[in-house]
Amino acid sequence: MTTPTEERPDAERGERRRTAFGLELSIDPRISIPELGCCPDSALTPPSRIRLDTDELYRRWHTLTTTPERVREIRIGETLLRAIDFAEPAGYLLWVRDYGRVLISPDGLELLCEPDPVNADWATILSAQALPLAATLRGLEVMHASGVVLDGMAVLVTGQSGAGKSSLAAALVKAGGQLLSDDAVALQLCDGALIAHAGSVALQLRTAEDERLSADERATLGRPASSVENKRRYVSNEAVDAAPLGCVFLLERSAEEPTVEQLGAVNPFELIASTFNLSVRTPDRLQRQLDVVSAIASDGLAHRLRVQPGVDASRLGTIVHEHLRREAVPAEPALSGVHSRRERLLEL
Amino acid sequence: MASPSTSDLLAARVRLPQHVVHRSFVAETVVLNLQTGQYHGLNPTAGRMLEALQKAPTVGDTVPALAGEYGVEQEQIERDLLALTRGLLERGLIETVDDDSD
Repeated sequence: MTTPTEERPDAERGERRRTAFGLELSIDPRISIPELGCCPDSALTPPSRIRLDTDELYRRWHTLTTTPERVREIRIGETLLRAIDFAEPAGYLLWVRDYGRVLISPDGLELLCEPDPVNADWATILSAQALPLAATLRGLEVMHASGVVLDGMAVLVTGQSGAGKSSLAAALVKAGGQLLSDDAVALQLCDGALIAHAGSVALQLRTAEDERLSADERATLGRPASSVENKRRYVSNEAVDAAPLGCVFLLERSAEEPTVEQLGAVNPFELIASTFNLSVRTPDRLQRQLDVVSAIASDGLAHRLRVQPGVDASRLGTIVHEHLRREAVPAEPALSGVHSRRERLLEL
Repeated sequence: MASPSTSDLLAARVRLPQHVVHRSFVAETVVLNLQTGQYHGLNPTAGRMLEALQKAPTVGDTVPALAGEYGVEQEQIERDLLALTRGLLERGLIETVDDDSD
């Protein structure tokens, strides 16, 4: 049953419109997510609604007649850090230690939040976890990657945690790129072409690395935001729209000098492992995941980037930028083709 | 369920069930069971055999062409093909088709 309040239009409720992970979002005015952009022209509609409504979350989850299934959990030792439970018809209940809970409807159209009462930054659970899950449920494929738009094409960097994805993204932003996302990028397959959508445009840099930057360099990264653990956060000042996917760099530690190699024969399982939300195992999603990985491989978008631990990120950014200019950026006719497919996507 | 005899298997027509999809990559073919969510990897030769199995009227019909393609004896191809076919059947990644069904 809906209440009269729920039936009022968004503007009357004071809800704000944002875009992230390819979704148009309608956000409860009490929730602040500064790291989400507002370029709605390419986003999926209707909007996914994000509400602060503990009562409704309880009503839907704690009156279930079925036992929820634990579909994913992450622990350090005995300590549970994150869990996702699923039950019909309520959906996916995401819980993150010290951040709170978000109930995401099975169609990804509704997100009900129950924040941790003592964590002022609780809403980062939305951009970091809940929205990538909602995007997956709404038909996009989210990759665990940093992303930057360079010369009109999206460049993604995947790799293990701590491999230097954010550092390289920051270096590419300093070299003139626009941040697409720090940690997760939503991909949409449209007429065989992959479109990359912006996620959280807050870059998190390790403190030691941040201290090596000049004031001017920091300014290119955006405005400083609250820091977390040993990282400084910068929220991009520039809104960036979706862009055709141009390149995926698979970051790998190496003892040698940095090298870039286009992968003719990419291991598909390596790409599958770089996708987000392994908790969603519906047939539609699984097939889409394989289609997206297949498109990345068949379009020759995958590159291996081998780097030494501790290599200077700016130098790496220069190497990547030069490589892109030399080899990865398609010639003009192909680029035009991608753009025309993108334009068709935007018309849908 | 008993494994089909060699002669039965060579005379059988096989296909991918509706819940199985596959995509070919340069060095691997990925076969995905949408019911279990399990991925399987096939090397290029096995991937080529799977492709041939889907198109041929029977498993045995693929042998001569594959033997010619790879330049090996038909007996060797038949052995490898039967082992692959049995493996795929056991994992539910292909199914046999009755003559009178589609």
